[in-house]
Amino acid sequence: MDLFSNLWLGGATAFLPANLAYCFIGCLLGTAIGVLPGLGPTATIAMLLPITFGLPPESALIMLAGIFYGAQYGGSTTAILINLPGESSSVVTAIDGYQMARKGQAGKALATAALGSFFAGTVATILLAVAAPPLAAIALKFGPAEYFSLMVLGLVASVALASGSLLKALAMIVFGLLLGSVGTDVESGVPRYIFGVPQLYDGLNFVAVSMGIFGICEILRNLESEHERSVGVKKVTGLMLNGEDFRRVVAPVLRGTALGSVLGMLPGGGAMLASFASYAVEKRVSPNSAEFGKGAIEGVAAPESANNAGAQTSFIPMLTLGIPGNPVMALMVGAMIIQGVTPGPNVISDEPALFWGMIVSMWAGNLMLVILNLPLIGLWVRMLTIPYHLLFPAIIGFCCIGAYSINNSVFDVFVMALFSVVGFALSKLRFEPAPLLLGFILGPMLEENLRRAMLISQGDPTIFVRSPLSLSLLVVAAIVLALVLSPSIGRKREEAFTE
Amino acid sequence: MLKIRNGRDFVGGATMVLISLLFIWFGWELDVGNSFQMGPGYFPMMLSLLLMAIGLSIIVQSLVVAAQDEGSETANWKAYCLVILAPVFFGLTLSGLGLAPTMLFAIAAVSMASRYANWRHSIALGLFMALSSVVLFTRLLSLPVSAFGPWVPFVGGP
Repeated sequence: MDLFSNLWLGGATAFLPANLAYCFIGCLLGTAIGVLPGLGPTATIAMLLPITFGLPPESALIMLAGIFYGAQYGGSTTAILINLPGESSSVVTAIDGYQMARKGQAGKALATAALGSFFAGTVATILLAVAAPPLAAIALKFGPAEYFSLMVLGLVASVALASGSLLKALAMIVFGLLLGSVGTDVESGVPRYIFGVPQLYDGLNFVAVSMGIFGICEILRNLESEHERSVGVKKVTGLMLNGEDFRRVVAPVLRGTALGSVLGMLPGGGAMLASFASYAVEKRVSPNSAEFGKGAIEGVAAPESANNAGAQTSFIPMLTLGIPGNPVMALMVGAMIIQGVTPGPNVISDEPALFWGMIVSMWAGNLMLVILNLPLIGLWVRMLTIPYHLLFPAIIGFCCIGAYSINNSVFDVFVMALFSVVGFALSKLRFEPAPLLLGFILGPMLEENLRRAMLISQGDPTIFVRSPLSLSLLVVAAIVLALVLSPSIGRKREEAFTE
Repeated sequence: MLKIRNGRDFVGGATMVLISLLFIWFGWELDVGNSFQMGPGYFPMMLSLLLMAIGLSIIVQSLVVAAQDEGSETANWKAYCLVILAPVFFGLTLSGLGLAPTMLFAIAAVSMASRYANWRHSIALGLFMALSSVVLFTRLLSLPVSAFGPWVPFVGGP
C-alpha cells in the first residue's frame, strides 16, 4: 500500500539522527519555554523561529513542530500545577487539573495528560497521513476562483470561532489584509506603502510582527497585573495510574481524540476549540459529572486528548491547502516560505521527504514528550518557580536578538517594537490579534488569486459563483457568518467561552 | 442627541476608520485600475473602504449597545515605556556598542519595569544575559554582530 511506502519514506527522513536530535531539541525547548507562565505556543514559536533559519527545510519544520507540541504540553503543566494556563487551550485543563493537584494528585493529572495526549497524537498522526494526500489531490484541481473562495471561508471561520465581537474580529482580518499589502506589488512591481524605506520592499516581516503582537505585547499586559505567584506543588509524586484510573479515562480519551481530530481540521479551529468542546461534552455524558470542577480525572483526560489531537490535525489544512487555520499555523506557513517551500497541495508531490518526514516526526515527537515530561517533571517544576520579574527581561532580550537575526538588520527590531504598541493598543480596545495575523499571512495569496480569477473571467465577478465548488465554499462561508450573527448562537458562543 | 453607550467600542471603531483613511491617504498615488485589470491600488483601496464600513458599524453599535461592566485597569506607564523603549534602544546601539553592553543596559533597564525589581538583581540579570547571548549568538550561531562595538574604547572592534 502507498501509505506504508510513504511512511517508510517519512521514517527515513524523520529517523535520521540529526532530525531526531532537532525534534528532541524542539520538544525540549518548546516545553521549557511553554512551561514558563504567560508564554503560549504562539509566542514560543515566534520567539524561537529565528533559530531554525540556518537549518535545512526538513529539519527546521521538524524542529518547529516539536516546539509546537512541546509548548502546547508545557501549557498543560502550568495549568495543572499553578492553575495558570499558559495558553487558551489549557484553560479547561486548569479547572480539574488544579483541583487534582490540590488534593495531592498532581502526578496522576500530569500522567493522564501525557498519556492521553500521546494516544490522541498517535491517532491524529495516522489521520493526517491518511487524509492529507486525497485532500491535496482535490486541492490541486482548484483554480484561482476556488482558492479565493476557500481563503474567504477560512477567514470567515476564524472569525466565527474567535471570542468577542464579530465586527471587531472582521475589522482585524481586514486590517491584517491591509498590512499584508505593504511591499512590492507582485504583478506590477510597484512599491506600496513603502515610505522610501528599502527594507519594506519585501513587506513587513511576519516574524517581527508576530513577536511584537504576541511576545512583547503579552509582557505589557502581564506587567499591568503583576503579582507574585507561588507554586503550590513543590514535589510531584505518584505518576502511575492504577486500574481504576485507567477504566475512568479510556472513554473520555477516546471521545476527546475523536472530537479534537474533527475540530482541529476546521479552518479557524485547532486546539482551543477542541479542548473547550470536549470538556463540555464530557461534563454532559460522564457518569461522574458531579465531580467535574472538583478534580475529576475525566476533566483532564478529555480536553488534553482533544487539544493534542486538534493541534495535530490543524496541520491538515495548512499542509494540504496552504491555508493556516490558527496563528500557530500562520507562523508555520511563514516558516515554510522562509525556507523556500511554497505551502499548498504541491508540497506532497514536490517535497515528499519533507511532508512525510514531518508526519512521522510528529509521532516521534509525541513519544518524546511522554518521556520528557514524566521523568523530568521535577525539572519543569523548578522552572515554574522562576519569578516573572527575572523572566520577562530575558524574553525581551531574546526577542530583540531574534528579530535582529531575521535579516541581520535592526529594522525588524523596530518593526517588532512598533507592533507591540499596535497589539497593546488593540487589546486595550478589545480587538483580538489572532485574526489580524491570519489576514496578514493570507493577504498576498488572497489578492493574487483574486486578480488571477478576474483576469481569467475578463473582469466578470460571476466567476466566483459560476464554478460549483467556489459557489459552495462561498455559501458555507455565508452560512457560517449568518449563524454567528444570529443572536441565539451568539449567546451560545458566549456561554461556551465563559465556561 | 446620541449618547455613546460604549466608550471603548466608540474609540475602537474610530481607530479603524482612522486606519482606513491612512491607507487611502498613503495609497492615493497607486493606480487602482478596474476589475479586469486591477492595478496595485485596487486591493488596498477596496479593503480600506471595507475597513471604514466595519469601523462605522462598530461606532453605530457603540451608540446603541451599552457596555458591559468591566473592572477598570490600572495603567503602568513606567512599565510600558521601559518595555517598548528597550527594543528601540537595542536597535539604535547594537552596531555601535556591540552585543554585550547593549544587552547589559537594555536588560538592566527593562527589568526596572517590574514592581519587584531591585538594582542588584537587575545588574546580575543584565550581566548574565550579556554573557549568555554573546556565547550563544556570536560564538555558537555566529550572527554578524560583535560582542563590543566601535563605541567601546580599547576593546571595541570596528
